Amino acid sequence: MKKKFITIIFFTWLTGNLLAEEKVDFSREVLPVLSNKCFVCHGPDTKKKDLVRLDSFLGATRDLDGYKAIDPNKLEESEILVRINDKEDPMPPHKAEKKLTASERDILTRWIKQGGTYATHWAFVPPVKKKTNSTGNPIDFFIAKKIKAKGIDMNPKADRRILARRAALTLTGFPPDPKQLKTYIEDKRPDAYERLVDQLLDSPSFGEHQARYWLDAIRYGDTHGLHLDNRRGIYPFRDWVVRSINENLPLDQFITWQLGGDLLPDPTLAQKIATGFIRMNPSTAEGGAIPAEFQAKNNFDRVETLGTALLGMSLICARCHTHKYDPILQTEYYQLMAFFNNTSESSMDGNKYEYSPNIKAPADQASWNEWNAIKEIRKGVLKDAVKIQTDAFNRWQKASEEERFKLLTNPDQKVVELQKRAAIVAKSIAESEKRFTTTLVAKELSKPRETRLLNRGEYNLPVGEPLLPDTPKAMGSFPKDAPRNRLGLAHWLTAREHPLVARVLTNRIWQRTFGEGLVRTPADFGLQGEQPTHPELLDWLAVELQDNKWNLKKMMRLMVTSRTFQQSSARDSKQVDPENRLWARGPSYRLDAEVLRDIGLWASQLLDPTMGGEGVKPYQPAGLWKALMHPGSNTKNYVPDKGVRQYRRSLYVYWKRTSPHPMMTLFDAPSRETSCVRRSRTATPTQSLALLNERQRVEMGRMLGQRLLKESKDSENIINKLFTLLASRAPEEAEKEACIKLFQQLQKRYDKNPNDAETFLSIGESARDKELDAASLAAWSQVALTVLASDIAMWVY
Amino acid sequence: MNDLIRNNELMLTRRLLFGRTALGLGTAAMAGLMNRGNQVLGANLNGGIHHKAKAKRVIYLFMSGGPSHLDLWDYKPKMQQMYGKDLPKEVRDGQRITGMTSRQKTLPVCPSKYKFTRQENNADGVWVSELLPHTATVTKELCVVHTAFTEAINHDPAITYIQSGSQIPGRPSLGAWLSYGLGSMNENLPSYVVMHARSRHAEQSLFGRLWGSGFMPSQHQGVLLRSQGDPVLYLNNPAGVTREDRRAQIDALSALNKAQHKRFADPSVLARIKQHEMAYRMQSSVPELMDLGKEPESTFELYGNDAKTPGTFAACCLNARRLAERGVRNIQIFHRGWDAHGNLAGEHGNQCKDIDQGSAALIKDLKERGMLEDTLVVWGGEFGRTPYCQGRLGKDNYGRDHHPRCFSIWMAGGGVKPGITYGQTDDYGYNIADVDGNMLKPQPDKDKWTPGTMHIHDLNATILHQLGIDHKQLTYRYQGRDFRLTDVHGHVVKDILM
Repeated sequence: MKKKFITIIFFTWLTGNLLAEEKVDFSREVLPVLSNKCFVCHGPDTKKKDLVRLDSFLGATRDLDGYKAIDPNKLEESEILVRINDKEDPMPPHKAEKKLTASERDILTRWIKQGGTYATHWAFVPPVKKKTNSTGNPIDFFIAKKIKAKGIDMNPKADRRILARRAALTLTGFPPDPKQLKTYIEDKRPDAYERLVDQLLDSPSFGEHQARYWLDAIRYGDTHGLHLDNRRGIYPFRDWVVRSINENLPLDQFITWQLGGDLLPDPTLAQKIATGFIRMNPSTAEGGAIPAEFQAKNNFDRVETLGTALLGMSLICARCHTHKYDPILQTEYYQLMAFFNNTSESSMDGNKYEYSPNIKAPADQASWNEWNAIKEIRKGVLKDAVKIQTDAFNRWQKASEEERFKLLTNPDQKVVELQKRAAIVAKSIAESEKRFTTTLVAKELSKPRETRLLNRGEYNLPVGEPLLPDTPKAMGSFPKDAPRNRLGLAHWLTAREHPLVARVLTNRIWQRTFGEGLVRTPADFGLQGEQPTHPELLDWLAVELQDNKWNLKKMMRLMVTSRTFQQSSARDSKQVDPENRLWARGPSYRLDAEVLRDIGLWASQLLDPTMGGEGVKPYQPAGLWKALMHPGSNTKNYVPDKGVRQYRRSLYVYWKRTSPHPMMTLFDAPSRETSCVRRSRTATPTQSLALLNERQRVEMGRMLGQRLLKESKDSENIINKLFTLLASRAPEEAEKEACIKLFQQLQKRYDKNPNDAETFLSIGESARDKELDAASLAAWSQVALTVLASDIAMWVY
Repeated sequence: MNDLIRNNELMLTRRLLFGRTALGLGTAAMAGLMNRGNQVLGANLNGGIHHKAKAKRVIYLFMSGGPSHLDLWDYKPKMQQMYGKDLPKEVRDGQRITGMTSRQKTLPVCPSKYKFTRQENNADGVWVSELLPHTATVTKELCVVHTAFTEAINHDPAITYIQSGSQIPGRPSLGAWLSYGLGSMNENLPSYVVMHARSRHAEQSLFGRLWGSGFMPSQHQGVLLRSQGDPVLYLNNPAGVTREDRRAQIDALSALNKAQHKRFADPSVLARIKQHEMAYRMQSSVPELMDLGKEPESTFELYGNDAKTPGTFAACCLNARRLAERGVRNIQIFHRGWDAHGNLAGEHGNQCKDIDQGSAALIKDLKERGMLEDTLVVWGGEFGRTPYCQGRLGKDNYGRDHHPRCFSIWMAGGGVKPGITYGQTDDYGYNIADVDGNMLKPQPDKDKWTPGTMHIHDLNATILHQLGIDHKQLTYRYQGRDFRLTDVHGHVVKDILM
């Protein structure tokens, strides 16, 4: 014990001395310590007037009856230095929950000795691009620089097959199609990989896969979310998200439409649908609920979701009091809320699907396409009309009285034709619109609602004067020419000078590409959050995103074509960097719930590629909803879909917010009651049970087994095909052995027990091929199910 | 002393691990480490992480909808004199009223129609309603708290509040906090098990969030033990697959995962292998748990014949005891239907029939097995009911609206003083009062606690305390803040502890 203590002292002394000369970085080293250990009493929300404030230079250098926390003239005598080293009466005090560590004391000491100056927290300073001095991918420049400084190397490039799988899963959420894979492997051109990436970016699956992350962030659900948790008409919004990502709508517009599409001049249908974002808050119509209470709660939720999804901090602390750590005043929270407090929907949802205001919108992607196509035809008709009508007019002008009279009695055939075409178009539009469905949108009240600060966040304790909409000062000023409404808020968010939005989005794009963010706390860019692993890289990319007109596909292309992304993900034996903070190896993580399911549907060829429309209901154990739901709820009975709707992509699985599908929640999907920008990735025994026993997974295994047996005859080829599908490569010896052993054992058993084979093969709705030998099919199905459940199929690596 | 240091070190590692997982690593790598951690820590720490635990486990009988304290536990004979008269303004004292009765012209006082009997406990006795004849026989074990209170006035916010410390969804549930703090005591069953008991008046919804993990990793969410279909979701092998087949599959899975591990050296792959093995064990441990065949007839005499029907409250209570015996730390039974707005007599009668014998049997059974002393049993709902009538006031039937300002719960075992009552309310059961009947207006306050009262944060702080957890120290960092179950509030109510 004693020895250990001495070692610590020695070490502290040693590091203290060695580092004494090293310039301390206020924003990255000092501020986190002040924030975490001091601000709880001496921070922005300090109420006691006589307490020193340490969140600004001005506060810290205030004269406190002859001494100062930081004394710029006598740095060594600064009270901070005295108190953090005071054994009797230290700071933080003995009773404090968080004390300083030796290295933190050292940081503060060096900081004071070096002048005790302040700087702004990094995330509140707009990002700038540093020069990269490199012709290659700038990502690699920043990553390699740090790796070299640590004296290690990047991992070698991953095997091409593994890389193709990684890129395909990252961009589209599916492994590469065997044909696509073959073409790529045989493509010897130097830009073969880039070509593959472009194909993937162009695939409609791209939008479906990427949309999911946004839907998590903004808590998309198909039900109201509270109390009865009834159905809600909003899925056209989900389809709009997929469409705009596939069409590569610039992210600044993506944000603007969602926040204030209805306020744009002469908004399009899509721009109106996008405002469903404003309506995504969970809502209630509980009998006893008090409207004013939920008016406040709905808006809290909007402010905090905006915060988490775009500002990288939920702002939730400032709802009740000025933020303890971040420079956000309570007033500013309510000023921000004032932007949202002016929408016309009632604070209670009436348990209604149509919870107004709403509009009619295309009910799925096919009807979107149809409607767009008709609109295109209408454009053509209108264009022709100009020419035909001008011609007719000209003829009229030139004609004699006699001829004019003839023209009147004998109308121009072209005009008649035109009218016919117009009538057909009108009819088609009307018919197409007849199939439209309800989607909730935002609408502004003509007379603004008053917003006041709510004491302790209590709806019934408003204080002070009504507040005008405004944005937190620490995050840059509100654009002078912007309106003080949701549209203006969007201008502020997407303004070039905004310090956070581009960084926050870039970080999450990185996170879904590399498995973790450059900032490992994607929901906290504030003082308590983690520093970026590569600050300059994050800033470079954030500015690059803006320079490229907020082009998502271009950004993802840049990331997946980097050498950093293409590294092998194998760990070194010493596990030097377990959390991959240096990015010296490729990404490796367990896939999300949706992808796990989608891969199985895809490999077994059960997948129905229909895009969009009302949420689908795959099998779910009976009674799960009923056990929870109020008898008056219209979501108390879960009626599984029949036919192809069973096999739609998981993006379209019906999302009941108080009880999402267990195959989602078991594998870490959030409930979508609140914003989620990062899912956990757990391994639990209940997952293991689901992987091998859930009805649809069993069916996937069965249909995959059937596909394999039909496409190849001998075991060797079957296993090869299975691995090509799920791992994009041939199996290794040990893997082959494990599969064959399992197959043989099960085939033998099913040969002896044909009834077991029959019962097993009757699980799930899809038809079984009776031509195939039941024992072999049952055995191969189990092998397929097993490989699907292995980390070979469940991971990106 | 050494233990203390070791505990501190473990705590530190633990917080680092969990904290990091929330924000940093979050891959299954961490999950693997945590799982190992769960087992090691749980076993070594004897249930406590900040101090020695009095209770090893908790069984929470949750009465969803808000049972009427006035018809079950809080005897108010003086209300008879006020029958049908408007509740005095000074009693209501600014309390907000739900949207259901706020338009009612009067708030007529509505005394309970039920007979109360004074039962012996270890102190001055306790009044129990005729609706709970069985529970009345175990009052010597109960600590009946008359002064639980909350701010929430409607079900969804109130139940979310008492279960997660916040009225707005998103926070981990009490059970998730316990799972995070204490881990598991066994390798064959989940550490947090939730049951839904059937009820004839299944009004009011329950939500996944009530046993969910909120912003914590989802391994801390409660595992449902169901009476319909597989007792644990997806527990049983598909038809046509035997246990031997499954063994072969798990072996093949292991071989495949090991091959993967060899190529990539990712430790979380090994963790997954362990989970598959535990799943395999659960496939025999859960059926063994659910098989009541070896329970002697005396068990069913105790719990009632209802206990033979899966899904009844009595059956859930029996399961709870069996889970407790098998080392499950954290068991919660939700029983719905207590929201008696109109037909209290009809509904509460049935509700009490559902739960009365099972709850009493559970206490007796645990006591007999010597398990009550280290099992904390909690009974209660999300709020109480009003002393004024909602809708038509009749002698035989009436309704009561939601009431947050005071309600009754009881606790037993796990180091809670047996046979006492705690706190008192005014003559209407409307406000918390001091011994002289003067109105106290307690507020949740992080610095000040009003003796004789138990805010729901205090209740949660006290539950954690009995399990060896300091509610102020069990934190989880999310979005830059160290969150607690009790937010910034909560006081351990030491008055009721042994």
